[in-house]
Amino acid sequence: MLFKLKLLRSGWGGVTDSRHGAVTIAFCAFFMQVFVEASSWWSLAMNPLLIPEAYIIGGQPLCSQLAGLSKGQKKLCQLYQDHMQFIGEGAKTGIRECQYQFRNRRWNCSTVDNSSVFGRVMQIGSRETAFTYAISAAGVVNAVSRACREGELSSCGCSRAARPRDLPRDWLWGGCGDNLNYGYRFSKEFVDAREREKTFTKGSMESARLLMNLHNNEAGRRIVSDLAHVSCKCHGVSGSCSLKTCWLQLADFRKVGDTLKEKYDSAAAMRLNSRGKLVQVHSKFNSPTSNDLVYIDPSPDYCVENKTSGSLGTQGRLCNKTSEGMDGCALMCCGRGYDQYKTELVERCHCKFHWCCYVKCKRCSRIVDQFVCK
Amino acid sequence: MCTGLPRTACPLRLFALCILLSHAAAYFGLTGREPLVFLPGPFANEPPNGKAHLKQCEQMTLTRRQKRLCRREPGLAETLRESVRLSLLECRYQFRNERWNCSMDGRGSLLKRGFKETAFLLAVSSAALSHALAKACSSGRMERCTCDDSPGLQHREAWQWGVCGDNLKYSTKFLKKFLGQRRVSKDLRAQIDAHNINVGIRAVKSGLKTTCKCHGVSGSCAVRTCWKQLSPFQDTGHLLKYRYDTAIRVHSVTNSATGETELASPRRHSNTGPRLRPTELVFLEESPSFCRPSRYSPGTAGRPCSKDTSCSSLCCGRGYNTALRLTTLSCHCQVRWCCHVECQTCLREEEVYTCKKH
Repeated sequence: MLFKLKLLRSGWGGVTDSRHGAVTIAFCAFFMQVFVEASSWWSLAMNPLLIPEAYIIGGQPLCSQLAGLSKGQKKLCQLYQDHMQFIGEGAKTGIRECQYQFRNRRWNCSTVDNSSVFGRVMQIGSRETAFTYAISAAGVVNAVSRACREGELSSCGCSRAARPRDLPRDWLWGGCGDNLNYGYRFSKEFVDAREREKTFTKGSMESARLLMNLHNNEAGRRIVSDLAHVSCKCHGVSGSCSLKTCWLQLADFRKVGDTLKEKYDSAAAMRLNSRGKLVQVHSKFNSPTSNDLVYIDPSPDYCVENKTSGSLGTQGRLCNKTSEGMDGCALMCCGRGYDQYKTELVERCHCKFHWCCYVKCKRCSRIVDQFVCK
Repeated sequence: MCTGLPRTACPLRLFALCILLSHAAAYFGLTGREPLVFLPGPFANEPPNGKAHLKQCEQMTLTRRQKRLCRREPGLAETLRESVRLSLLECRYQFRNERWNCSMDGRGSLLKRGFKETAFLLAVSSAALSHALAKACSSGRMERCTCDDSPGLQHREAWQWGVCGDNLKYSTKFLKKFLGQRRVSKDLRAQIDAHNINVGIRAVKSGLKTTCKCHGVSGSCAVRTCWKQLSPFQDTGHLLKYRYDTAIRVHSVTNSATGETELASPRRHSNTGPRLRPTELVFLEESPSFCRPSRYSPGTAGRPCSKDTSCSSLCCGRGYNTALRLTTLSCHCQVRWCCHVECQTCLREEEVYTCKKH
């Protein structure tokens, strides 16, 4: 982006016609606008972890310095400064889970830069975009709920959820559960803030994209709250289960990732109808519930590198020669073929436990074949 | 064949005949352009008419020699149709969960290349043909052969050869005549096709089992009648699918001692010898992934799949659509005296998953 600015500036220096200059400035400004839009609150994950004290000491200026936040999000930042760190952590968890779930596919959720994070791919309303929005919203719910339970945030505490009805009567309900309710509401306020404050004309592409983003964020949050389960601890006489205390606990984030990946596989293609609402493209299929993901555009071709769609291509990706799935060399390399290298793999082996109390391992190296797409 | 022709035309004619014979030389009904492929079942209620088979022989795409054999043998036309139906059903069944599901679209282009799928098609078609021929012999539908008459087993006094075994010997001999396998050309593709056809025939041979029935005093095995019976074609199909999964890629080498070209595989494992085993399928080139529509297949869009097992591999990462379907099935069945079963019909909603197009 800066490279483009330099080019324009040098070009402008050489041009004497003032009309050309005005056009160039307008073009430049337009580009800047688009550039600012493209960055989002995910950039909080990429910046190094800032300690909450830094916010309190700095106060207002730090919030306005954070790139990628919309107006409403900046206001929330100023109101809830200690939450920002956990929002960043939640986004980081989401991105990491996304990269794990997509590690075997052509688009592997790779981050491009620190401001727009995923690049121009997110501007297309594809299934991958839907998954990314959902899992980052889910990550924020996770992080904020955990932070509440651990006492890191001043405005919330342990969960005050009602005792579930199907719990056996002689089990205690207490402990300190993850504050799912607060996490859900805060994530809704913060993540949806950018979408809420914009208004578009009914029936335009932007309004379709807005509805899609809102639906997918909600789907991510709902999955987290659906997967939260009751967890118990036995603490009766000598550890027996005569006395049990139960509380509400968030599911392991890997499970959330797996569920969202299933929803990604069965996502529904939508379009805008005449009244400005999202409806299914093929009406004979099941309509999506609030837990399902929706998308409006077909995915771009992730095989080749394309600057307009933002795809990075699969050149240089590792592939698995024996697999028949998406990580197999036939599908990953899109028919271009692959190169074979021998690399040395160093790993720990012959681990032994020493008294007391550490484990010592040796390092073994072996030569393995690696296949890289052309 | 060459009388009355100028010198240059004769080798051309032989050459054309060789081309015809080298690629899928036999009548196998592989391409589906024949009008007789999708029949509801064999031997429908037609009254036995002596001359009907002549018309059927003319309608099928056979070489001149094959047509002559067909005309001589009245039951052969029906058997050919039955073998085509058998091979089609078996191929579809074995590949129902794979990306290439043995569809008719793109079959012509597929047969021109040397893929694993071509090898399987040839093997299963030849296996179906020999299976159908053997069964037709033992069922009495063919005029020139009857039951299996080989007393191959050791003579034990209590055992007797009887009943009517499937005549695989005649079937194999007839197939050699029908497919014209005596001429082995030097063309690599023809060698591979001949090898794969043999694999199919051997697979049927390996399924030939001796079945016995005891009928001595009060059902004891004092008196036994044994006969040779072919295993059901599904077992042969299963075996051929296993061979397809373990098929070997080959190239042609010239044997320096004899000067002949022969097939050889790159020596990957130490246990298989340098020569190919006659039970292994061979192929020339790696198949494409049949994910997108191409000239070899219609792609996997719209294929029904099951959510837990096959959708991830069938749909090639594109995801699936969900639709609800109402199915009727029989339920609450009861036996009424005497002796029929009465069932009610229940309606059930089930989810059907089909692969997305993009």
